[in-house]
Amino acid sequence: MFAYDKKLQYPVKIARPNPRLASVIISQFGGPDGELAASMRYLSQRYSMPFDDQKGLLTDIGTEELSHLEMVGAIIHQLTRNLKDKDIVGTPLEKYFVDHTVGVYPAAAAGFPWNAASIQVKGDPIADLTEDLAADATTLHSQHFKNSSRFPREFSLFLDHDGRSRYGRLEYLRSLGSGVLGLYTAVSIPCGYPLP
Amino acid sequence: MDHKQSGSRHGEGRLPSMAPLANPYVPFQLESPPKYEPRKALVRGTLYPGLDLPFMGMVNQKEQPVTPKTELQTLGFAIQELALYLDTHPEDKEALELYQAYQKMYHKGMMEHNDRCQMKHGMPSQGDRYRWLDDPWPWEYAANKEG
Repeated sequence: MFAYDKKLQYPVKIARPNPRLASVIISQFGGPDGELAASMRYLSQRYSMPFDDQKGLLTDIGTEELSHLEMVGAIIHQLTRNLKDKDIVGTPLEKYFVDHTVGVYPAAAAGFPWNAASIQVKGDPIADLTEDLAADATTLHSQHFKNSSRFPREFSLFLDHDGRSRYGRLEYLRSLGSGVLGLYTAVSIPCGYPLP
Repeated sequence: MDHKQSGSRHGEGRLPSMAPLANPYVPFQLESPPKYEPRKALVRGTLYPGLDLPFMGMVNQKEQPVTPKTELQTLGFAIQELALYLDTHPEDKEALELYQAYQKMYHKGMMEHNDRCQMKHGMPSQGDRYRWLDDPWPWEYAANKEG
């Protein structure tokens, strides 16, 4: 079960609102490679994962992603704090503002709302771990922004984190890879195309 | 009524003029209706036998064994409900006291249970082994068949 701790995982303190930055960072909230997608991906993959260590890891990472989601939400909130219509006009946040004003809505930077189509849960441990590896890599792309002074310092916490989990998963896949055939017979994974 | 004469088709019928389409009646619950004892109420999903109705012909007759885990689940449920109540009645002293008393019991229970089977990262655990990864996980049948 889940319970809420009334604190952020790491403090978020943004002195100056910045709608332009908010329009970019919103993707880390509700975009295809955002924290919501990450959490749903890991927490949903747990059920069919046959190995106890991976059930534990998916549970812990999926939970931590929810803490990241809250931090990104706090970043968006503070970047748009007290903004009035006139502050938004002419910024890239203008179209978002039409529907959501300063509410934090899970959507991608391109405007489309959060969608489970950007995650996969196959019920096959190698397919799912490979999906996770691909997802970790997408966060690494945001690393390029990390050293920009305009980017909130808080951002680097989850970027570093995903980098670490990527190497952990590579190691794990490598260890599974050496016995792939044995693995598929041992845990009996459904093929997914039940032919008559 | 003569169907041919009235012109209505089979299965449709007609209403007398001035009749409303439907008249639903919802009975008011009586003052101090009979109650289940708390443990049974938790399993049935309602405190009142009068609301414990069969769903699609199935009568809910499940019972729950008393284990340390079901005790914690029961206590956790009570705390959650009290929190929801307090969210809308923050000034209710009696509810606040009950909430605080249950929290103490829950914390004590979690400390004891966590020692044996590591349910929460943020609680002290003992022993020379990391038990967090141990099967069964909560979503598995094996974890639930004994309550």
